[in-house]
Amino acid sequence: MKTTHRMTASRLIRSLVICSLLVAGCDQPTAPNPVAPSVSNLKGSIKINGSSTSLLISNAVREAFLQRFPDVTVTVNGAGTGNGFDEFQSKQIDIADASRPIRPTELEKCKTHGVEFLELPVAYDGLTIVVHPQNDWVDALTVPQLKQLFVAEQAAKKWSDVDPRWPDQAIDLYAPGTGSGSYDYFREVVVGDSGQLLRRDMNLNEDDNVLVQGVAGNKYSIGFFGVAYYEESKQSLKAVKIVNPSDGVAYLPTADAIISGRYAPFSRPLFIYVSVASLRRVEVAAFVNFYLENVSWLCEKVAYVRLPQELLQRSIGNYHAKQTGTHYINSAGEVRSGALADVFLPTNLGQ
Amino acid sequence: MNKLPVALTRHDANKIARYTKRRKQFSAAFYALCVAIALLSVAILVVLLMSIGIEGQSRLSTDLLTRSHSELQPQRSGMWPAIVGSLLVCGTCGLLALPLGIGTAIFLEEFKPRNRWLLRLRSFVQLNVSNLAGVPSIVYGLLGLTMFVYMFNLFGQIQVNQSSGWELMGAKHLYQVLTLEPDHAVFIPQTNRNQNQITIDRPLDGLDQDWNPIAIDVWAPGTPQPKDPEVRRRTVAAGTTGGTVTDKAWYYFRLPLDRSFLAGGLTLGLVILPIIIIASQEALRSVPSSLREASLGLGATNWQTVRDVTFPAAVPGIMTGAILAMGRAIGEAAPILMVLGATISKESGPRHLMDNAVTMPVLIFNWAGRQQQEFKQLSAAAIIVLLVTLLILNSVAILIRHKIQQSQP
Repeated sequence: MKTTHRMTASRLIRSLVICSLLVAGCDQPTAPNPVAPSVSNLKGSIKINGSSTSLLISNAVREAFLQRFPDVTVTVNGAGTGNGFDEFQSKQIDIADASRPIRPTELEKCKTHGVEFLELPVAYDGLTIVVHPQNDWVDALTVPQLKQLFVAEQAAKKWSDVDPRWPDQAIDLYAPGTGSGSYDYFREVVVGDSGQLLRRDMNLNEDDNVLVQGVAGNKYSIGFFGVAYYEESKQSLKAVKIVNPSDGVAYLPTADAIISGRYAPFSRPLFIYVSVASLRRVEVAAFVNFYLENVSWLCEKVAYVRLPQELLQRSIGNYHAKQTGTHYINSAGEVRSGALADVFLPTNLGQ
Repeated sequence: MNKLPVALTRHDANKIARYTKRRKQFSAAFYALCVAIALLSVAILVVLLMSIGIEGQSRLSTDLLTRSHSELQPQRSGMWPAIVGSLLVCGTCGLLALPLGIGTAIFLEEFKPRNRWLLRLRSFVQLNVSNLAGVPSIVYGLLGLTMFVYMFNLFGQIQVNQSSGWELMGAKHLYQVLTLEPDHAVFIPQTNRNQNQITIDRPLDGLDQDWNPIAIDVWAPGTPQPKDPEVRRRTVAAGTTGGTVTDKAWYYFRLPLDRSFLAGGLTLGLVILPIIIIASQEALRSVPSSLREASLGLGATNWQTVRDVTFPAAVPGIMTGAILAMGRAIGEAAPILMVLGATISKESGPRHLMDNAVTMPVLIFNWAGRQQQEFKQLSAAAIIVLLVTLLILNSVAILIRHKIQQSQP
């Protein structure tokens, strides 16, 4: 009898503990379907550097990863996409975070140093064009209008230079620093291959917080940065609709519009570039596996947009097939551009 | 002929009284101005502390002191790794800067050479020290990057999967191979350092995660898999490959230092070296020369004079300089960002000598730039913790100084 009593008591305690764990688990980052709740004994260390935009995602993945693999050391630095590739080609890191595809010059360096890699898209980021909340004249902008605002050769000084109905006031521009993937991406979209430069009289800052405060502080200002930062400062800024060049309709940077590709041309995929030599190490393979399995819910936790299931499956397929190389540069060294769904095809590898 | 001041020649009592009154008024006004200036600087400090206190008080919790930065749960983020990291970086910095700085000061002040070449060396060092004190700390960051992180590539570059520099001690190289049990690995000591991959095709001896020897079995695909978890944990599918891992003891040491807390501490040591030299020089100079001359007059050598007379007399002054310098070191962010990078997510302080570290200023810098309200409050709370840490360190140093002063006759 006593033993049964003790049994039931211990069972009660156990179920209480489980209940409290479940309650506590409500605000804990647990995967939707934790497959292996047991803690792994894997050791080793993984080095990651690259885009400060992807840094948040990689940090989130790292944090969830370490709950299951506590003995693995994962170092995530966010020195910028360009600096990340620089360390990647000189074999200082295992994984490069990138907020744009690799460039031909960077690919060339990887080839000369014998760094083979997998290109894996993991999430979407949208660039948000923002204005002051009291700005009542701008609702939607077209790419040609953005050119007038941001390109050096056109450089509208006043709002009325872009549209005569707009106020006769000087424009105050805010943009991320030239080393950031966001700046590069914006320039690529707005200027294309024409080789024009963005204007130099913008307020450039790597700190997105400074940009938010700058735009929020002047009624006649305009700026751009990643959608995650806009999500966190919605109340002090107004997002501008962007006219999609293909269907002529203006869209706000909502998750739906970004995933479906309607928020064009300002939604961009984020990638991780994984060194194939590092994948031989069990801990790196486990990390990349974990990354692809969990990035969808983790990237939403840090306010990015998940890849559509179909694209994520292509990314996972590319990882399992170990298809090295980039989809964005053909064998003649020319850059492919376009939506991720159109470029990230197995047939585009190494051709 | 000789012109006396007007006040002496003409005794106009009224005028003198008026003049005196004006002088006294001016003096009182100047006094008020001084008080106002002093109050203003204090007021700015108080406003600063108040705003930080109000913003950060809601985050002053045990979570802040015991947990680490969390991207997924900002509300439960903490700064424990940063506290440990900062203390270790500053410790390294002090170990480098204090002996070097005090030694240089003693050379410059107490061993004034008569030899022409030594004299030139002395003035060269003196000139450089004064110049270095004004160099911005970011420049030291660049210096630290080439000197400590890469060590001019003298010892080779550290590359993943290829070379880990000159590993001097504390490294254990193993292959890590996955077993049949998901996410569970066994380890096999690496014998050939150039072969960084292993394929398991026959049973062999290995180690488990606590380095206990175990016998690794091989399961041939196609045959029934073992069911017992114990057996599965040491059974590897035939043909499984594994890469290398390095198990690092706490005294793991290699060259170059790479982005380790040692490199960060040494760089900070360079930053504060000129400050310590100049402060120590001042302290040694303020020792009355009569003491020094009396000692030398009694036949003591230069070394004996320094050891028994001038240095003990200068210790309080030197310590004041050292406290100020260490206070600067613990608050430096720029050179640390340069040398250690902007990494802030780390669960613990450095685990071995070559481990990276998060420091408090870098964490505060990162948190202050975040959008979320939680991180802004956290950065204010972290500033309070940084100030309190500094206060504790300073009071300990002041206590020691007090003890030394009392023990002296």
